[in-house]
Amino acid sequence: MLSIETRALTKNFSVPEKDPGLWGSVKSLFNRRWRQVRAVDSVSIKIEEGELVGFLGANGAGKTTTLKMLSGLLTPTSGEAVVLGHVPWKRKSAFQRRFSLVMGQRTQLWWEIPALETFRLNQVIYGLSDADYKKNLGELVDLLELQDCLSVPVKKLSLGQRMRAELAAALLHKPALLLLDEPTLGLDVVMQQKVRAFIKEYNKRNKATILLTSHNMDDVVELCPRVIVIELGRLLYDGPLAQLVSRYADHKIIRAVFDREVKAADLAHLGTVVEDGGLKAVLQVPRGQVSARAAKLLQGFPVVDLTIDEVPIDDIVRRIFTHK
Amino acid sequence: MIRKYWTAYAISLQETLQRRSSLLMDRVGGVAIIVSLYYFWKALLGTKPSFLGYSGEQMLSYVLVMNILRSFVFTGRGWQLVGEISSGRISSYLVRPISYHGYTLALDLAQKTVHLAAAFLEVGVLIAAIGARVYLPHSLSTWLLFSVSVAVSSLLFFFMEFMVSSLAFWTSESGGPLFCFELGLQFAAGTFFPLDVLPHSLQKALAMTPFPYMVFFPINIYLERMAPAEAVKILGIQAVWLAFFVWAATAVWKLGLSNYSAEGG
Repeated sequence: MLSIETRALTKNFSVPEKDPGLWGSVKSLFNRRWRQVRAVDSVSIKIEEGELVGFLGANGAGKTTTLKMLSGLLTPTSGEAVVLGHVPWKRKSAFQRRFSLVMGQRTQLWWEIPALETFRLNQVIYGLSDADYKKNLGELVDLLELQDCLSVPVKKLSLGQRMRAELAAALLHKPALLLLDEPTLGLDVVMQQKVRAFIKEYNKRNKATILLTSHNMDDVVELCPRVIVIELGRLLYDGPLAQLVSRYADHKIIRAVFDREVKAADLAHLGTVVEDGGLKAVLQVPRGQVSARAAKLLQGFPVVDLTIDEVPIDDIVRRIFTHK
Repeated sequence: MIRKYWTAYAISLQETLQRRSSLLMDRVGGVAIIVSLYYFWKALLGTKPSFLGYSGEQMLSYVLVMNILRSFVFTGRGWQLVGEISSGRISSYLVRPISYHGYTLALDLAQKTVHLAAAFLEVGVLIAAIGARVYLPHSLSTWLLFSVSVAVSSLLFFFMEFMVSSLAFWTSESGGPLFCFELGLQFAAGTFFPLDVLPHSLQKALAMTPFPYMVFFPINIYLERMAPAEAVKILGIQAVWLAFFVWAATAVWKLGLSNYSAEGG
């Protein structure tokens, strides 16, 4: 069954434009000009129940805007979406009971009092019986190692503890769909690892659909068999993470070992030299010309060993993030 | 259903008590105002039996009852609402199955509870310390009319404040409207002095606004300065204003929300 389906989902924003300087500010006070920006442009995706999908793109690519439309916070300019059988922006409570949106930088926890109180509030908001509440909470506290954080005011928690408490608050009602915006932002490596392990486990245990955005390479590589890439609001790639490389990388990597020193300058005509150590070199070569260049390398240089590799996946994802 | 809001009330009560220093600060400011007003009127009255139609006891009671009434009627979480809208934190409520109006009202009531208790305590201490006498209404019907009028004006304040705070959906420097509202409100409602002090024409003009119906007239009902029939008329006008602001607040909220959904936050 489909968890999420969108057809040509599009969102325009109007943003005010201002000339530089003080005079520009004064002018814009009386005569504000607006410019239309297309944040999401005709995005069509289908996500099956139980999938764990990474949603990638550089800053401003339209990821958060898409998540907001899927959670019903934003109404699209045009296009359709059906999430868990509902049109999200109608904000029906039958829909809201079945999903959760977690934004890394925002908290739903009450700041001055212990997280347990927010959990209790969510229990009644989502209409959980006491038995279900206890069971779910027990599970989450175990998985997220929250035992020591429950009775401390939220403002006294570390960022990692807070993020885990945040996840617990969002998952108490066992949502069938979880939208995660940057779940590991600002966490240290150990904590990132814990949060990732938890997300994986939650997905497996509950057959929950999870769509997550992240700028953290490891999140994507470790968690998401499938990725969706958007750039400037447009869908760029949707498929297995493994195939992202062949689709996205326009070059391969040739590594060569020589038995005599070779100067980098002499190799320049074969490709971009990314590393050279006299007896070793690493070259970036356009995909279509790999065999021809490798042959030239073998003929013209004292090669003892040569391998041809795909570009590492994290390189690709990193390039997607940085827009190159 | 009601359990949601009850729990929100209970949590908010905890949180208000947790912010001890800000509560204390609020209250100390309030006490300073009533103490100075109390002595101001006492000096002004001197040995006169009455002033502007208020007996000495009534005038001083006005100040003390005002403190209690203000704490109950004018306590709300407008600033938090503005903050939640402009920071986008409101999103976390909009994706959960709860009515934001009901939720906010529950939270307001929690704050009102705490401030009301504090106000009673302050007035009690003042009465004990300076031997002030407070006017107590003679008839049961006065108590009844007064209670209803206070309940209505609390709701009236809730919806007015909700409406003004919702303007934060449009203004990015969103505190402005709420600030102006609060300033005008305190003055026009008669919080600082009985409105009878003002020139007649200004009084008449103010009577066309909802503000005097929030504090000034309820206190006048309490002090039994109006006939029961007149008091009922006041309640009627309050009800009309309430109906209007329920409508207006809902309309502004809906518009704001659709603006928010259109532009994001």
